[in-house]
Amino acid sequence: MTDAAVTMDFHPQPPPGQAKPWAFPVPGRGALGNGLTVLHCHRPGQQVVAVQICLDMPLDVEPDGLDGIAAIMMSALAEGTSKHTAEEFAAEMERCGATLEASADYPGARVSLEVPVSRLPKALDLLAEALHTPTFPSSEIERLVRNRLDEIPLEMANPGRRAAKQLAQELFPASARLSRPRGGTEDTVAPIDAAGVRAFYQAHVRPGRATAVIVGDLTGVDLDTVLAGTLGGWTGDAAKPVPMLPVTPAGTGRVVIVDRPGAVQTQLLIGRTGPDRHDRVWPALVLGTYCLGGTLTSRLDQVLREEKGYTYGVRAAQRVLRSPAPHAAGRAMGVSVLAISGSVDTASTGPALDDLWKVLRKLAAEGLTETERDTAVQNLVGSAPLKYERAASVARTLAEQVEQHLPDNYQAQLYARLAETSTTEATTAVIAAFPVNRLLTILVGDTSQIKAPVQALGIGDVEVVTG
Amino acid sequence: MCAPVGHTATEQAGPGGLTATEHRLDNGLRLVLSEDHLNPVAAVCLWYDVGSRYEVKGRTGLAHLFEHLMFQGSAQVKGNGHFELVQGAGGSLNGTTSFERTNYFETMPAHQLELALWLEADRMGSLLAALDEESLENQRDVVKNERRQHYDNVPYGTAFERMIALAYPEGHPYHHIPIGSMADLDAVTLDDARAFFRANYAPDNAVLAVVGDIDPEQTRRWAEKYFGSIPSHGGKVPPRDGTLPDIIGAELRVEIREEVPARALMAIYRMPRDGTRECDAAELALTVLGEGTSSRLYNRLVRRDRTAITAGFGLMRLAGAPSLGLLDVKASARAEIPQIEAAVDEELARLRTEAPGAEEMERAQALTEREWLDRLATVAGRADELCRYAVLFGDPQLAFTAVNRILGVTAEEVRAVAAARLRPDNRAVLAYEPVTSEDTAAPAGDQASAAEENDKRDGARQ
Repeated sequence: MTDAAVTMDFHPQPPPGQAKPWAFPVPGRGALGNGLTVLHCHRPGQQVVAVQICLDMPLDVEPDGLDGIAAIMMSALAEGTSKHTAEEFAAEMERCGATLEASADYPGARVSLEVPVSRLPKALDLLAEALHTPTFPSSEIERLVRNRLDEIPLEMANPGRRAAKQLAQELFPASARLSRPRGGTEDTVAPIDAAGVRAFYQAHVRPGRATAVIVGDLTGVDLDTVLAGTLGGWTGDAAKPVPMLPVTPAGTGRVVIVDRPGAVQTQLLIGRTGPDRHDRVWPALVLGTYCLGGTLTSRLDQVLREEKGYTYGVRAAQRVLRSPAPHAAGRAMGVSVLAISGSVDTASTGPALDDLWKVLRKLAAEGLTETERDTAVQNLVGSAPLKYERAASVARTLAEQVEQHLPDNYQAQLYARLAETSTTEATTAVIAAFPVNRLLTILVGDTSQIKAPVQALGIGDVEVVTG
Repeated sequence: MCAPVGHTATEQAGPGGLTATEHRLDNGLRLVLSEDHLNPVAAVCLWYDVGSRYEVKGRTGLAHLFEHLMFQGSAQVKGNGHFELVQGAGGSLNGTTSFERTNYFETMPAHQLELALWLEADRMGSLLAALDEESLENQRDVVKNERRQHYDNVPYGTAFERMIALAYPEGHPYHHIPIGSMADLDAVTLDDARAFFRANYAPDNAVLAVVGDIDPEQTRRWAEKYFGSIPSHGGKVPPRDGTLPDIIGAELRVEIREEVPARALMAIYRMPRDGTRECDAAELALTVLGEGTSSRLYNRLVRRDRTAITAGFGLMRLAGAPSLGLLDVKASARAEIPQIEAAVDEELARLRTEAPGAEEMERAQALTEREWLDRLATVAGRADELCRYAVLFGDPQLAFTAVNRILGVTAEEVRAVAAARLRPDNRAVLAYEPVTSEDTAAPAGDQASAAEENDKRDGARQ
């Protein structure tokens, strides 16, 4: 073959075929006698069934000074039950080919189970045992507490995690749970003990405040009978409403550098607070944020990666932290974080931030183009069938809807609303989300290399912290 | 023309009744098709039989850097057009580079399948029409930042790279990891990239799998239309031989004093090659020892001794060289490496002398089966596995029977592979000792000789 000489036959770019209909599934809804809400969804071919137990237990309910007790309690559900020791329980689950994970996040807590459908009844039986009769042995709680204390420095060594911790601390007042790490700090985790964990469980875990989401190929599964014999045996008091403290987000345009001497890259996290999904602006915000930094061909990476090579990739995204029911008293309490994140080589920190701000200013001055908006809609809406192939993906989105007090058809409606959102609406939303003069910039990197060039940009006062 | 070859006559139904057919174009491109009409999606996966094992001294990282250049346009696709067109059609896409192969993949809404085939064919046949110095310089910088982000700026980030350099001797094709070294990335020229394309990117060095809501006849016609005129390459240079003795022979060990948050014990054990029954036995052995939260090492180190925060032992299968058993233990604050190592050695010795019991085998088999169900649960996962078995073992159908082969392994075979391989004289060990930034200025033993690299998964992504 000679050099760049091309010897193949070329054909014009082919047009698409006829699109086939697809819709995000709307789940069946029911309730068990014990008050447990059940959402179920049959997904043909998905042999691994995904189960999510959502507990209406936002982190606001943690006792003062014991941040992290929710996460420890959730992990401890599987570390000893009335019928099994911690080791036995884990082995029984794994003999089902099952994985079980528990987590506690700002909006609520979750247990996630994934298991081949052939072993679903057995795994649900074990799950019910963990929810209903955990024993919280002192020795296991001590182990989990020590493990958590050991994990904190590992997490904080990761520049992305460190930046996220700093952003939360800067965005919210210290009194707000949202300002502090989900899993707590050394000071708040150390005093957690078995008695405290038991009391916390008693106060907050009950079927009347929980929803089970079950998604997968349920062919031949008599779900009502299976549930009655497993999660149906979980009992507890009637549900009490969860109080939620109001939050007034702080934050103006400024820069905080977390010093990492010798770091070869600077981790960027640039953001502020935004609304939750109940807000009418949400679809426009999703669309505008995607155009700004949703992918490699979005505005930020077009410049920072594909033109300048400063980074492996920078993304803009939103994450809901709290989302009460729309008719709850004091409705304006939903909150998300809107942020641009990525890492750039140390020497390029100043130039990369300069370019990043130029991208934002250009966006604010000129707005999005129709083509950009159309491509974004085609991607966000068009990719839904592939995004939701797995049962676990569907279950996660349904669980988020539950946790964020959204209607069962929320995701399906979101796609319809995205398709209706205009270029002007998306432009307005993204400019409001990332105002150039009011962004909080967290940089985890080598202060001696980056402080001066960052100060010179005039994007806000620069403060340096360590740790 | 397409002509069916091989196994279409003895098509075997895999899990969930999955089947595939194999065809070959006249230019040597192998095509694997598998129908699944449950969702209106189609996966395209293209494996080129080239990975970092083909790289030569002084040009480590070239295969992966080249993979990036494949997204920089071709004769009919301008600039970032590949990404723009796929995403604008509602698809997702990427590419990855490992020791043994480079793959490119798109998952599309089914009615956009033809676009993905057109795009892949355009770059297979005409990349050099668009490849220029500007793209190379830009993607060189991007890849160097990828390396910093995933390896150099992360605690323990270079551990895998260091262990690989120990476990595969100098000069061995697997001595370095796909991301390559900064110096070698700096050295790549446009001529290197062009030569790499000419040597490795051709229809007869690739397998194309299309899986999902497809019409097989139509898909074959499209494959023929778009790929059929791309000239074959012929005369492919085979990879350098990766054969090594079964056993390293003596423990290789480096103590690393670095600014890391906790002590850590990591090791690579030399394991049987992929494609052998011993490799399947090794997978179960490592699952018994180190997968999940009730494995022997987890129970021993995390639950009972409480000397570790995490303890895992997993298999990285390799077909052209010994596979890798990867041990990773992060120590608890008060624990010392020698006590952890003694406990690990006790657990290995126990498996070497006594076959696992029925319940432990059941657990290891259930977890393995589950992993396969996950891999095959999406059209993209299936397409990738079909390509893997077609490229590395010559037969895509093996993807559907792989799990049954593993489930057929006996407890005694698990013990036997442990006895043969999980021995102190068959490992390359890294022991991490944390130091503060002031201490790091002091010389830190002999680890400087280790090359750099680390990725627990199988490669570097676009």
